[in-house]
Amino acid sequence: MTILRNLTALIFLGAPLAGQQGLNPAKLLEKPTDTWPVYHGDYSGRRYSTLTRINSSNVKGLSMAWFYRTGVGGIKATPLQVGGVLYFSAPDHVWAVDARTGREMWHYAWESKGGIHIGNRGVGIYGNWLYFETPDCNLVSLNIQGGKERWRKTNCDLDEFYYGSVAPLIVKNHVIAGVSGDDLDRPGYVSSYDPETGDLQWRWYVVPQKMGEPGSETWPNEEAMKHGGGMTWQVPTYDPELNLLYVTTGNPQPVIAHKNRAGANLFTASVVALNPDNGKLVWYFQTSPHDTHDWDATQVPVLFDGEINGQRRKLLAIAARNGYFFVLDRTNGKNLVTSEYIPANWAKGVDKNGVPIPDPAKMPQLDGALVSPNASGATNWPPPTYSPQTGLFYVGATRSYSVFYIFDTDDNPQGWGGAERGGGSLGSMIAAIDYKTGKVRWSHKWESGGARSGLMSTAGNVVFTGDGSSNFVALNATTGDALWHANVGAPVGNGPITYELDGIQYVVVAAGDTLWSFAMNR
Amino acid sequence: MACCAAVFVCSAQEPGPAKAEEVLQKVCGACHTPQSVLTTRRTRAQWQETIDKMVSLGAKATDEEFAAVLNYLSAQYGPNAADAAAATPAAGAGRRGGRGGAGAAQAPRPASSAAGPDDKHVVDAAAADRGRRVWAAECINCHGTYARGSDNGPNLVRSDIVLHDRYGNEIGPFLKKGHPMQSGSASANLTPVQIAELSHFLHQRVYDTLRGSPIFQMHDILTGDAQAGAAYFNGEGGCTACHSVTGDFKGIASKYDPPTLLGKFLNPRAGGRGGRGGRGAPPAPGVKQVTLTVTPPSGQPVTGVPVVFDDFDVSIRDAAGEYHSWTRTPGLKVVKNDPYAAHDDLLTKYTDKNMHDLLAYLVTLK
Repeated sequence: MTILRNLTALIFLGAPLAGQQGLNPAKLLEKPTDTWPVYHGDYSGRRYSTLTRINSSNVKGLSMAWFYRTGVGGIKATPLQVGGVLYFSAPDHVWAVDARTGREMWHYAWESKGGIHIGNRGVGIYGNWLYFETPDCNLVSLNIQGGKERWRKTNCDLDEFYYGSVAPLIVKNHVIAGVSGDDLDRPGYVSSYDPETGDLQWRWYVVPQKMGEPGSETWPNEEAMKHGGGMTWQVPTYDPELNLLYVTTGNPQPVIAHKNRAGANLFTASVVALNPDNGKLVWYFQTSPHDTHDWDATQVPVLFDGEINGQRRKLLAIAARNGYFFVLDRTNGKNLVTSEYIPANWAKGVDKNGVPIPDPAKMPQLDGALVSPNASGATNWPPPTYSPQTGLFYVGATRSYSVFYIFDTDDNPQGWGGAERGGGSLGSMIAAIDYKTGKVRWSHKWESGGARSGLMSTAGNVVFTGDGSSNFVALNATTGDALWHANVGAPVGNGPITYELDGIQYVVVAAGDTLWSFAMNR
Repeated sequence: MACCAAVFVCSAQEPGPAKAEEVLQKVCGACHTPQSVLTTRRTRAQWQETIDKMVSLGAKATDEEFAAVLNYLSAQYGPNAADAAAATPAAGAGRRGGRGGAGAAQAPRPASSAAGPDDKHVVDAAAADRGRRVWAAECINCHGTYARGSDNGPNLVRSDIVLHDRYGNEIGPFLKKGHPMQSGSASANLTPVQIAELSHFLHQRVYDTLRGSPIFQMHDILTGDAQAGAAYFNGEGGCTACHSVTGDFKGIASKYDPPTLLGKFLNPRAGGRGGRGGRGAPPAPGVKQVTLTVTPPSGQPVTGVPVVFDDFDVSIRDAAGEYHSWTRTPGLKVVKNDPYAAHDDLLTKYTDKNMHDLLAYLVTLK
């Protein structure tokens, strides 16, 4: 993606000036080197660093710089690094840790009123303020110097079994916050809050709220539609030049039993482009029409510029949980490439718009349908990476089968109404996909399964991720050969990050309750 | 680690609940707060299935620890351990209470999950049954048997009033205002006890829609053609290369119920319950294990069950229980012996008809 340094001042006119330790908003439009200012490293979602001090020739010499143990649950958050300080979260907790030494600077604990505590993806930072979501549906703002709470706002209704797990994303003067929870039949949405006051600026519902609105033609009635799910579990990406926010949406509700929601069920299981200033839909692309396998589309929509059929284009690529890889023109959502990166048996083919056509025989059945991939998917929430140096899109992938059953035979099923049972995994790997064709150029298969670890690539021709043996691993980005590892005692649970401070390049990753830092030690 | 057989059926040193809770924190807490699953009741087999799944996602523990976790969960969070969960303090920082609320001491339905607030309505099943009678007399014609609505009345499972209600505190005031009832009597005359019972009934209907709900049961899966299954078994499936209906499969249908049989032939590693027994997963009884044969540059080949097997290291435990460990180098030869490779191959080939036919045939082998 083109980086618009010259527009920085213009876009952030009126934004508060960051303090000594705060985040200079200009950093959000640059390629990160001395900072990791947003969840995906930059707005593009590529998780690619231009740093080269650690590279495929010397990565063998990487060694531990420090570690920090939280003693609380598992860390799934990608830390942000701002002003030499790492900020990261676990459900109900936020920490600030010295990025050079791993020394704790502060720890904030939230007193919970409930909600699912499965994980927290991280925090957002704007100036001197930090934002995070709690399992009990609050969006909380803290002062990054000391972690003192500034305000708390309700982002969802805990009684409706929503919860918070997503990292907020700051775009201009908007705090963009998704919502989690697919137990009851409630609508998904994404909200924008004022970073200073916490006031709601807009809310976009994934499912239309009235018949007659665009997308409502893909639902049988308003009752089904308004309760049709579509949670926004993933952190969006953003193109400042187009001023488009790319949000991915979750599965429709009821999840497995689907008799009362005939149709494609827009805008669930889709990539949508929103105007971040007003929350209006600009375009959509649905990866799984009428999803019945709990796949959703909440993987990372990765933005980069590239050449397809000899034409330079602004692209968006996503490796979806349903086994398909898609490349779109991100200006208009037009499909350019659709391919299977993992064998998928649930579609009858691909339509003229590049969308897989669900095979009714592979939807959940009373006596079971054997489906690949299983509900956990060909991939899941952990972030992939794209390297402009190799032109490869790297994703943690699993080949799996399970049998999908309908349990609830009611004409008006609710909630789940079915489940997957049995089957198994045929192995996990890092798949390197050539975005021009969608073909897998190489796969690095893990001998002992995968670990649901995120990925990061660097201009040093290295891809960092985790394997099923609790190793933090460096692969050669060009060939996929394993170059280095360190056993971190638990599966790598987040996406690794890198930054350079005082001439030292650090690579930081979480495993279990511990944050590990590696560097070329002097 | 996966080194000795059938670790889940016995455990030499049974840790007490307090110790077991520590083990649970250590094993499960590496990735998630254990409390996130502890409001669900599961049978021992279901907890085993959950653990299998976690192992496939990377859960790490010794055999003894896995056994302790299984025993603890089965005892404390089994279907008949209704009060145990309410009585067990929720460990883990930052999460208070677990199941609190006025009804915590009453036997809750095992359908609810970790979703929702800590003070959520806890259903008293007996009160819900009494509420069902009020429902049948006054509400069912418009709101339906399962409270999912009809042409005459809205869905109450999805009602904001019901979801915000605790023991009648929202439903009561709503009905006090006056609402048509089947008998023609005034809704304002419902007693507080009747309202509380209706509330229990309605929350039970809501919790019944959650994943893991006890009302969700598998239907008839024996829809295949046994004769076609026999032909597949003896022909295309290649099953007779390893199995015989007069040998190892004699009476197999008497040993396993149909869902277990299906699970076993789709993925024998999991012992029929799904999920892949990954590295470190204790095998289900009767399940064969993957072994590795490692040949050092100078030395004799050694065969054993893998303990660590990745791009960098390999270690095994041999039949005598001895542990061997190597750094993987170009000169070190590692051969994987997978007794179930043919099943993996079949998994990618079965049609749904093959799968159902084969099951229909196997259940005839009584």
